[in-house]
Amino acid sequence: MNPGWDFHAIAPEIIISATIIVVLIADFFFQYRRRFQTSQLATIGVLAAMVPVVTLAVNGGTRQMFGGAFVVDPYSLALTGFFLAAAYVTLLLSVDYIGDGDYYQGEFYVLLLTSLLGMMVMTSARDLITIFVALETISIPTFVLAGWRKHDPKSNEAAIKYYLIGVLSSAIMLYGMSLVFGLTGSTLLRDIALAAPRTPHTSLLIVAVFLTLVGFAFKVSAVPFHFWVPDTYEGAPTPVTAFLSVSSKAGGFVAMLSIVFFGFFAVPDTWQPALWVLAAASMVLGNLAALRQTNIVRMLAYSSIAQGGFILVPFAVAADGHAARSSFEAVVIYLLIYGAMNLGAFAVVIAFARRTRSAEISTYGGLGSYAPSFAVLMTVFLLSLAGLPPLAGWFAKFVMFRSVLDAGTPGATVLGVIAAVMSVVAFFYYLRVVREMWFHPVPDSVNPEPVQIPLALNAAIGICAAIVLIVGIYPQVFARIGELAAGG
Amino acid sequence: MAEFVIFFIMAAVALGAAISMVLARNPVHAALLLVTVLVAIAVMFLLQDAQLLAAVQIIVYAGAIVILFLFVIMLLGVDKSESLHDPVRSQRPAAIVLGVVGLAELLFLVGHHWATGTSSGPGLNDGSGGNVERVARSLFTSYLWPFEVTAILLVVAVVGGVVLARRSGLPPQQELELERDDDDTEPDAMTESTSEVSAP
Repeated sequence: MNPGWDFHAIAPEIIISATIIVVLIADFFFQYRRRFQTSQLATIGVLAAMVPVVTLAVNGGTRQMFGGAFVVDPYSLALTGFFLAAAYVTLLLSVDYIGDGDYYQGEFYVLLLTSLLGMMVMTSARDLITIFVALETISIPTFVLAGWRKHDPKSNEAAIKYYLIGVLSSAIMLYGMSLVFGLTGSTLLRDIALAAPRTPHTSLLIVAVFLTLVGFAFKVSAVPFHFWVPDTYEGAPTPVTAFLSVSSKAGGFVAMLSIVFFGFFAVPDTWQPALWVLAAASMVLGNLAALRQTNIVRMLAYSSIAQGGFILVPFAVAADGHAARSSFEAVVIYLLIYGAMNLGAFAVVIAFARRTRSAEISTYGGLGSYAPSFAVLMTVFLLSLAGLPPLAGWFAKFVMFRSVLDAGTPGATVLGVIAAVMSVVAFFYYLRVVREMWFHPVPDSVNPEPVQIPLALNAAIGICAAIVLIVGIYPQVFARIGELAAGG
Repeated sequence: MAEFVIFFIMAAVALGAAISMVLARNPVHAALLLVTVLVAIAVMFLLQDAQLLAAVQIIVYAGAIVILFLFVIMLLGVDKSESLHDPVRSQRPAAIVLGVVGLAELLFLVGHHWATGTSSGPGLNDGSGGNVERVARSLFTSYLWPFEVTAILLVVAVVGGVVLARRSGLPPQQELELERDDDDTEPDAMTESTSEVSAP
């Protein structure tokens, strides 16, 4: 029996897989002096994989394989494109950081690309086993990447914590999935959607769906499954942190989208209350804890927990009123915008650390006086994260609140109020960095001489800034992508 | 009839090996007795028409996990007179209690109805081929895609393990320098470019 390959549909995955193997082997033959060629190969592979994504999007329609376990549709293409773009920016961030460091090993790119492959598989996965394999393919390389600075105890701690919690959450999730299979008799989300409302064991189904979602809650670092985040983000190399906070987190959200919307949408009682609590707890705790941070990476870690809470809001209201469509759109659009602004903020942090080797917020004093362009860009990214118009972040918040309004139930309203209050709280800690940069003197420990910033890093910052500004002013660009993803 | 005889022989082997494993004084002997238990259970799987499970049992447990035990024993150094004095005194009574509870659960659940509504027992295995063939068929048709992705995942797990286990990520020259310094501090001396890295 022929499984019926559609090679056009899996061309992006094939290109990335081939790149992984080529990079792995080619790295043996490059001399240490010419090690940057490895990163060039990886970059070429990522850019080449975008070509079939574009041709598939132009052709349109939905392609299926393996009896519906693998689906290429506008939703999966939009997110595959996002993951490729985010990986491209992460490569730009990493090239000099990893290349200059004491920790250079060409395998860095192999691991990064494999994690990317897992994300691409995840966008098309409509089957529990594929989703699980994709999630592991995302996670396992990042365990190693988090511990990349082997002689630094903080990096070791980051990797160990991330690894142990990641493995634990996988086990819990797998247990939930096995219960789902036992109750519905299928691993295909399409069949689960048909069988789930008919199962007589509702309480067991709630347990099964809850355990499955717990696994993804770890991945998207929702409170109370967030304990690993600040330490791992601080200890990991900063480009890896950027990758974890954007791509890896979005991978978890994509899995949640598929499972909630394609699998269990007809039985909202099983997932809605749990996601409501996760969303509210993440927003409150993430924002309040971020207020007290003195290290910018830790602050961004708590900020990413809080942003994850905002992304969970549309999930928690999806089944109420007529919010199904707008909440799906809201999650996709929020993910795209969050990716651009968070990668941008981390890019500036990396560039700044080349100068001071510090991530303390106090060392940002006076940045506006000696490096005004950086200070402006950092201000743009932080205000966008806070949600100030006309930067892209406001549109992300707007679509989130629109889904709350579409839902219109009391539960949704309460969640909307919490989100609104916490958006205001968020301004405090983002603006504290801005104030430090513009209104405080240069601390003695910082040498205000200009430092050569590599081209790749500048390019990464430029790409993110352009997206944040353009989408902020013309949100139709991403709004259209969101509409297409939600089904035309 | 033959099935009956083989079952009792294998049950006796498994029980005997399990008891002597617990009582063995030499850890290597204990590990080898564990292999015996696992092989005996694999034979019982074969009796139940679960050929794939039997093969997996031998490959995964006997092949991989016990070998891992032996590696650890070898690396820690094996002493013939291994101390059997138990550092955690409450372990033994706890093990006995848990064993009794486990046995009671097992007896209670035999023939009991499960959540799905059907009692546990041998499932259907009609249709063409044994279960190895049927597992293979679904692995290479409906689950081919995750199977292929798993292949890459396993390659990368090996690569990641090697990367982390390698003593250092430095080029050979610097690695020598490190060894001369005789500790793991930052080797600033060698390259001009290292001065602006590894923060934060």
